[in-house]
Amino acid sequence: MPSDTFSTAPVFEGRLHPLTIAFGLLKAGRSLIYIIPLIWFGNKSYGLPLLMLIVTSAILTTLTRYFSFSYRIEGNELITQQGLLERKHRSIPLERIQEIRVEQGLLHRLFDVVDAKIETGGGGGAEASLSVLSRAEVEHLRQAVFERAAKIRADAGQTTAAAQPQGVAPERVVILQLSLKDLFLIGLTTNHLISALALAGALWNFADDILPESIYRRAGNYLVRETERLIAQDVATTIVLTILSIVAVVVIGLVFSIAGTIIRFYGFTFSRSGEDLHRRYGLFTRRSSSLPRRRIQVLKIEEKMFRRWFGLATLRADTSGSHRDNEDDDTGRDVLVPIAPRSEIDGLLTTFFPDFDSDQAEWRRVSRLAIRRDVVKGAIICALIAALSFVARRQAISLWPLALLPVIWFVSAARYRHLGYALGEHYFRTRRGWLGRSTHIVPINKIQAVEIYQSPFDRRLGLATLSVDTAGQAYTGGGPQISDLPVDEARVIARTLAHKASATRFRW
Amino acid sequence: MIEELPQQLDLPDYAPSPVQEFRPLDPRAVGLWRVTDLIGFGVLLLTLLISLCLAIFANLRFWPWLLGAWFALAALCVWYSFWRPPRYYRSWSYRIDDRVLETRSGLLFKSARLLPLSRLQHVDIERGPFERMYGLASLVLHTAGTHSASIRIPGLDAGEAVRLRDHLVEIGGDDAV
Repeated sequence: MPSDTFSTAPVFEGRLHPLTIAFGLLKAGRSLIYIIPLIWFGNKSYGLPLLMLIVTSAILTTLTRYFSFSYRIEGNELITQQGLLERKHRSIPLERIQEIRVEQGLLHRLFDVVDAKIETGGGGGAEASLSVLSRAEVEHLRQAVFERAAKIRADAGQTTAAAQPQGVAPERVVILQLSLKDLFLIGLTTNHLISALALAGALWNFADDILPESIYRRAGNYLVRETERLIAQDVATTIVLTILSIVAVVVIGLVFSIAGTIIRFYGFTFSRSGEDLHRRYGLFTRRSSSLPRRRIQVLKIEEKMFRRWFGLATLRADTSGSHRDNEDDDTGRDVLVPIAPRSEIDGLLTTFFPDFDSDQAEWRRVSRLAIRRDVVKGAIICALIAALSFVARRQAISLWPLALLPVIWFVSAARYRHLGYALGEHYFRTRRGWLGRSTHIVPINKIQAVEIYQSPFDRRLGLATLSVDTAGQAYTGGGPQISDLPVDEARVIARTLAHKASATRFRW
Repeated sequence: MIEELPQQLDLPDYAPSPVQEFRPLDPRAVGLWRVTDLIGFGVLLLTLLISLCLAIFANLRFWPWLLGAWFALAALCVWYSFWRPPRYYRSWSYRIDDRVLETRSGLLFKSARLLPLSRLQHVDIERGPFERMYGLASLVLHTAGTHSASIRIPGLDAGEAVRLRDHLVEIGGDDAV
């Protein structure tokens, strides 16, 4: 589309950084590494021209991309343009822009350039990807976008409670910083086995790429042979070895997860300027993102099993644009606060929801039938196991599963005590879980729908499960949900929530 | 320790507008569902019958048993297609006041869904060939939500569906997104 159809003059114009070419070529070169052996060992008379073709096309694409790509803010839109023959023109309404995410790998940091990704509430991934830009330029772009978006909203007559004075860049206040000690603690309390496996997998892949096959095959054979020899010796040695190897796996897992956490969250800084929340973290690849706080749809305070013992919690958020793409899964995008004492997180809540403090509704419990139901469920399972083992060996001792009944009662009661909800003026909170507890907080004006669900068992006891639907539930495990409510109470809550939500305005 | 739940809930029942009565779907929906159920089962039974015929050609010894089982299954399907729709129809109801749409449905697993009308993104009317035959339509309400991003009201009279859609769009439309 020719740009002269627009009456408004562009406010902000920019191009990619010249280093785009270098980075583009580097990326193309990296993907070539996989092809080279193929061509080398294949037919050389075909391979060489093919290689040339690939290289030239890579160079051409990179050059075209650099010379044809431009972006600008025009009127109420951010416009990106790309392509020589076929011009791609994309316009993104400014007030839909959720977040400008910035990533900086090691090489990027050397030259002080970044990859910027622009996200909207669409949920289909980044709307536009600007790679690479200088860091100063991204800062300018970010400021221009969010200032203009705020102005557009103000012009549209939408009253924002904490509107920023125009033209004055609000000061950035650091709210939370994580020290190495905090990161160490996170690593220590995460599920280390999984991260160890992931890392081992990555290492294996790496070894697969680098080392010739014969070496690690020989190493594997050697390991198997040695183990067989040891097992053949005697039982005591085997037991000791097994225990030792389990300990080793755990220790290695811990080391890996601590290292992984430090690499991911090193230098975590959480700050706020006006309505925008900023995060910056990462040891090698530095990531930073800013997010207007009204985009937060649901907050989840997660107290996992080990962390709850230390009084620690994690804060996660769903924004209306959240979605999981596989490559981005592990970058901690949803984590607002990786770890902090629970009391500190409670104090932080007003940072996300300014009027939260005046909204402290009392926690309510669900029906006590929840205990009975859990005990019955557990008892049936115990009785089945006991019956089976009694059939197998007709001795009184095989009825031992029945001794677990008091434990079941205790667990059910504990679970009941932690199950609850609080319905305030502007916020709805639910919490669940005993060993690991999670608390969801949803602003009532972000509620999209409320659902009450009754299984046949629920109906017999007159209970129901209530769940709240919001936009972009991807990270917080399905949003606020509370089971074992008396059905009449569930109906009243649902009606109250729906009516209150309907009386408010939902903005992206 | 464990406190008693307060007997009387001190939450106000938040209903500023006069509470509407729940409305049923159009009774013709029962007929429609019987037909669609029968067709659905019919396809299944037909594939089973065809494979059974192949088995007979392949000289399977106990084919009379299989044929008997097929007839039993067919009878069950026919019975179910007649038994389910009226009950499902009775389980379905909806109501709309000036702020909230509420639907109730489900035979074994009951669910109630409440949709604040100002969250309505758009409304679709869907009419399949059989629905057209019966003069019925389905209304599909879309929100920006995640797991219940769309709520479907089946078996509405076609004219009623259009009227309802216009009404909902009018109420919900003032929430500029």
